[in-house]
Amino acid sequence: MIFIAPSGSQQTEVAEPSVDIATDEVVDLQVPWVVIVWNDPINLMSYVSFVLQKLFGYPKAKADILMMDVHEKGRAVVSNGPREKAEIDVFRLHEHGLWATMQQDT
Amino acid sequence: MKRRKHEGPVVARENDMFEITLSTDDRSTLLRFVDQLSEILAMGPDDARLRRLFPTAYHENPEHDAEYQGYMRDELTQSRAASIAVVKEVLESTELITASQLHAFMTVLNNLRLVLGTLLDVGEDDFEDDIDENDPSFGQWQLYGYLGWLLEWTISALSGEDN
Repeated sequence: MIFIAPSGSQQTEVAEPSVDIATDEVVDLQVPWVVIVWNDPINLMSYVSFVLQKLFGYPKAKADILMMDVHEKGRAVVSNGPREKAEIDVFRLHEHGLWATMQQDT
Repeated sequence: MKRRKHEGPVVARENDMFEITLSTDDRSTLLRFVDQLSEILAMGPDDARLRRLFPTAYHENPEHDAEYQGYMRDELTQSRAASIAVVKEVLESTELITASQLHAFMTVLNNLRLVLGTLLDVGEDDFEDDIDENDPSFGQWQLYGYLGWLLEWTISALSGEDN
């Protein structure tokens, strides 16, 4: 039986992260970037915490707090730094199936 | 697929090695799903089922995002294919595996769960145990629950938690 590869795939509504921060086209190179992980009903809480520990070397207690922020507040800033570093962090989070985005800190 | 109640399916052994104690049937079933995941990945990241595997990076800036996706998507696809190759080897053998192999196993289980969860349109209040067995998606929900169960054990083993 085919479970995940039916011929007619269902279209699901894509809920983009809602952001209440005014976008400003003026980009300040000195302002660091933040990496945000957004809540998703599928990823297990233990999984999110474990990935944060592995990728960023956070102790379990810190990773659990960030994970609970994601779960309860909808998102959490998990790392920050120059744009290049933020892109690498986002990539590694995406590799692990976490819903991560980046933006300049405000 | 049977869930063992007393012994976990992923067990830490000596010298930082691990054992996956799944039955031959479970292994071949999982291999089929991993093959299906490969097939979907081969269709490209725009397939709706893969939206959680290829998320937006710059949610505020579509231009930056297009640029980012331009140079990162292939890398992400290759990384997933590499993990899948590792997992196929792991499932085809009953030998002990390294933490790195088990980590690949974990990410592929999660990928499968994300694709299946997307198909099932899983929400915060949805639980596999609530699904009626006459529901047309009952089998998919069973698999979704099984993957979550196996993933929890895998995370426990990698975390060094005593089960």
